[in-house]
Amino acid sequence: MSWSDFFLMQQELALILLALVLLVVEISLDTENKHKIIPVANFLFIPILVIGFLNTSTGSLFGDMYITDPTRILMKNILNVGVFLVFLQVSNWLKTQANNRNRISEFYLLIISSLIGVNYLISAGNFLMFYLSLELTSIPIAALAAYEQYKHKSAEAGIKMILSSAFSSGILLFGLSLLYAGTGTLNYGAMAIASVDLIQSMGFIFFFSGLAFKISIVPFHLWTADVYEGAPVAVTSYLSVISKGVAVFVLAIVLITLFGEIQGLWQEVIYVTAILTMTIGNLFAIRQKNIKRFLAFSSIAQAGFILLGLVGGSNFGTTAVLYFVLIYIFSNLAAFGVVSVIQNASDKENIYDYNGLYKTNPRLSLVMMLALFSLAGIPPVAGFFGKFFLFAAAAEAGMYVLLLIAVLNAIISLYYYLLVVKAMFINSNDQPVPKIESDFFARAGLILCTAGIIITGFISWIYEYMLNNSFGI
Amino acid sequence: METYIFYILAGAILIFALLSVTTRRVLRAAVYLLFALGSTAGIYFMVEFLFLAAVQLLVYVGGVVVLIIFSILLTSQINDRLEQPEWLKVMATMLLVVVGAGLSLFVIREYDFNISETAMTAPTVSDIGLKLLSYGPGGYVLPFEVISILLLAAMIGAIVIAKRMKEND
Amino acid sequence: MEFSIYDFSTLTNSIHEGLSNSFSPTWVMIIEMSLVGLAFLGLFAVLGVTLVYAERKVSAVIQQRMGPMRVGKWGLLQTIADVIKLVLKEPLMNRQADKLLFGIAPFIIIIASFLAVAAVPFAKGLHALDFDIGILYVSAVSSIGVIGILLAGWSSNNKYSLIGAMRSGAQIVSYELSVGLSLLTIVVLSGSLQFSEIIESQANGWWIFKGHIPAFIAFVVFLIAGTAETNRGPFDLAEAESELTAGFHTEYSGIKFAFFFLAEFANMFIICAIGATVFLGGWMPLHIGDLAGFNAIMDFIPPIVWFGMKVTFLIFLMMWFRWTFPRLRIDQLLKLEWKYLLPINLVNILLMAFIGLMGWHF
Repeated sequence: MSWSDFFLMQQELALILLALVLLVVEISLDTENKHKIIPVANFLFIPILVIGFLNTSTGSLFGDMYITDPTRILMKNILNVGVFLVFLQVSNWLKTQANNRNRISEFYLLIISSLIGVNYLISAGNFLMFYLSLELTSIPIAALAAYEQYKHKSAEAGIKMILSSAFSSGILLFGLSLLYAGTGTLNYGAMAIASVDLIQSMGFIFFFSGLAFKISIVPFHLWTADVYEGAPVAVTSYLSVISKGVAVFVLAIVLITLFGEIQGLWQEVIYVTAILTMTIGNLFAIRQKNIKRFLAFSSIAQAGFILLGLVGGSNFGTTAVLYFVLIYIFSNLAAFGVVSVIQNASDKENIYDYNGLYKTNPRLSLVMMLALFSLAGIPPVAGFFGKFFLFAAAAEAGMYVLLLIAVLNAIISLYYYLLVVKAMFINSNDQPVPKIESDFFARAGLILCTAGIIITGFISWIYEYMLNNSFGI
Repeated sequence: METYIFYILAGAILIFALLSVTTRRVLRAAVYLLFALGSTAGIYFMVEFLFLAAVQLLVYVGGVVVLIIFSILLTSQINDRLEQPEWLKVMATMLLVVVGAGLSLFVIREYDFNISETAMTAPTVSDIGLKLLSYGPGGYVLPFEVISILLLAAMIGAIVIAKRMKEND
Repeated sequence: MEFSIYDFSTLTNSIHEGLSNSFSPTWVMIIEMSLVGLAFLGLFAVLGVTLVYAERKVSAVIQQRMGPMRVGKWGLLQTIADVIKLVLKEPLMNRQADKLLFGIAPFIIIIASFLAVAAVPFAKGLHALDFDIGILYVSAVSSIGVIGILLAGWSSNNKYSLIGAMRSGAQIVSYELSVGLSLLTIVVLSGSLQFSEIIESQANGWWIFKGHIPAFIAFVVFLIAGTAETNRGPFDLAEAESELTAGFHTEYSGIKFAFFFLAEFANMFIICAIGATVFLGGWMPLHIGDLAGFNAIMDFIPPIVWFGMKVTFLIFLMMWFRWTFPRLRIDQLLKLEWKYLLPINLVNILLMAFIGLMGWHF
């Protein structure tokens, strides 16, 4: 192993460096100036995004503990961009909330630690690394969910998140130990899961359940709504796109590279859970009054759609998943960005508070509308293309019943997404949210998201690049 | 002889684990947990995985349980009792436990494991240390370092939760 | 039966062979275990009695008093009388106490001491457990003791006990780190955690002499942290009598109180024995370079006497601390550990690793 090999870990090393730099900056700032870390963190994050595109070689490090290839780097880039957008959204909230003033750098440090976990999770080549980085992704976020611990709901969200993540880790570890019992190794490469014998199928089921907690696939979704509602908006948006995205990515990696031979088993599992997740997510989303709970259930439903891409296990399907997650990051973060701006300015988070938003804040309403259209999959915004490829993947696998249910669900989802749009544009309100002047970072974040929503669908080389680098059985 | 000791320890683990979830006094639950973890260390000692045994004692008994007891000391009164759960819940839980344990036992018993031919020798401390810091195949330096990031993040997280807000705001 | 004061392995081997000739292996194991157990019980009894007497006399000397003089010649039988008194006393029980935990707390503490003392090498071949993980084992089992203190404090249902237990818990958990790290500083040089190997590596000189300044710093830190870990003055906040009556064992009486008392002195002995083994060469005689004549004279003194002398010296040091320094406050205590000892220790270990790497040690 030579020095240059370390550049295979470019993104992780850069993130660790960033975390250390921020720690030093934090020490050097005095109490009154803690908010100055916000621009530092935001601007220093841009090189991280650039670094991700520099070196896209394939290789493995530390005796296959760490694997990297263009697909994995692409996945990391997608999620890093997502975190950058979260950072842009969060700036104003961090700066204005008096209670947070002496804990601003901790927020960045925790998100970055979690992101380091995300990157290592994608590149894990061994279940030990897998487990450790999975914990690294979730534990800092549990602390952040309780960031506003003076609010009852935030503290509750923190404790719910840590308990459910500990529980799911326990289940996942039990599954891993059964897989280890069956194969005698934890290394992806050496772990040839060839036949469907009892111990390995049971190991897989437990493993899948543990991961399903993180993606909040029904029936492992019960923690989602409460945590999303209680946690600060920025943490919720991180949870709903980054945590979910990375879990989907590793599920895809593991299913195809490790469990490829037992596709028959997991296909059924995913088939059933996809239907459950879409349907239950949608049905509960209709009933929600709180915008954060609403987006929580909408994100559960979206996870169900994502599973459509995995069910066939084909190259085409995983491409659709990658592509959809990218679009989902833009759309969901745009929605959460608007929610964050409005909550920050007026502390309102119910759907009826959005009545008449168009009158006072036309631009915010337009962004929100685009985001919801994209989530619903209405052409011509990017969400349509994302969903289209997912459905096509299910069709390619020949699962027409599943496809039919998915289309029905897409129609249901259209209804409740449009409810919010109707509230903003048509419903009248005596006391609408007053006009909001958002700050530079929030505005930049929303513009980037909107651009992403509009452009991603039309730039075909993004999709082609993904298709060329994607993997399947 | 070893078999007897094993069954004694395994029985102790089971009994204390059961006691720790059924007792209604929270500190006693922690103490039963302590005994269950200690008996596990006993099994490690029995199979001569000394390092693992010592780590089990150091981390779980001397670390985790001490922290648990500490937090109980700070938060609960001696006369506090957890409320008795409803019998329906108890039954449902018992059913679930029995089914789950039965399933796991069945699966594990059905599987014919490849029994290794070579005699098992417990690794020495230096073997473990070298493996832990080796970066070649089978080395664990990367997880080792990731754990340090995890611990750093956990510490920052604890600070975030514990940090006092400014009083005058 | 052969017997040599210089090497006990002949004695232990002959006992083993004798037993093996007449019993099956299982029974040999059981009998040997019981023998070792009895030996340690005896050791603890002797230790308790002599150390309490020693403490009284040392404190008397420091405070220019006579100490106990009435019972027996120079008060020699005083502690024996105390033991009889303690054993005959009624074990009181607080009505509101958690009786189960109140009952088992002293046992947890004393079990931890027994587990730890098993790893102490008394002399060549006189060693109950010679684990590959020696030092790690000792720090692991000695960390169990704090649970006994916490339980005793909580189950007594007494605010003084509870405060004492909390203090003691915070103290022991913190100072464990320094004890462990200062021992590790020497492990860097010896290259092994096993006590017998650590002692063998000091055949040509004790680590405190061979390891330059870092070894000496580690030794000082070890002494401070060891004193704190055994809850002895000036770190005896857990039982600060002026504020907390008797701290975590306020409610205990009779034989259970004696257990706490015994465990405290046993722990002091264990800490000193470990310190003597790791820093001062254990039972190794003092050797100076090539002075063959001097070395031969030193070799003439039996190892067990060397060990006894070193441990006595360290115990005397700890008693000296107790009777000269004023008691710390709890915040000073924690500050000392986290802000001073721990950073010093970490830097020291780096320094030692560097010295070891360069081969600068002797």
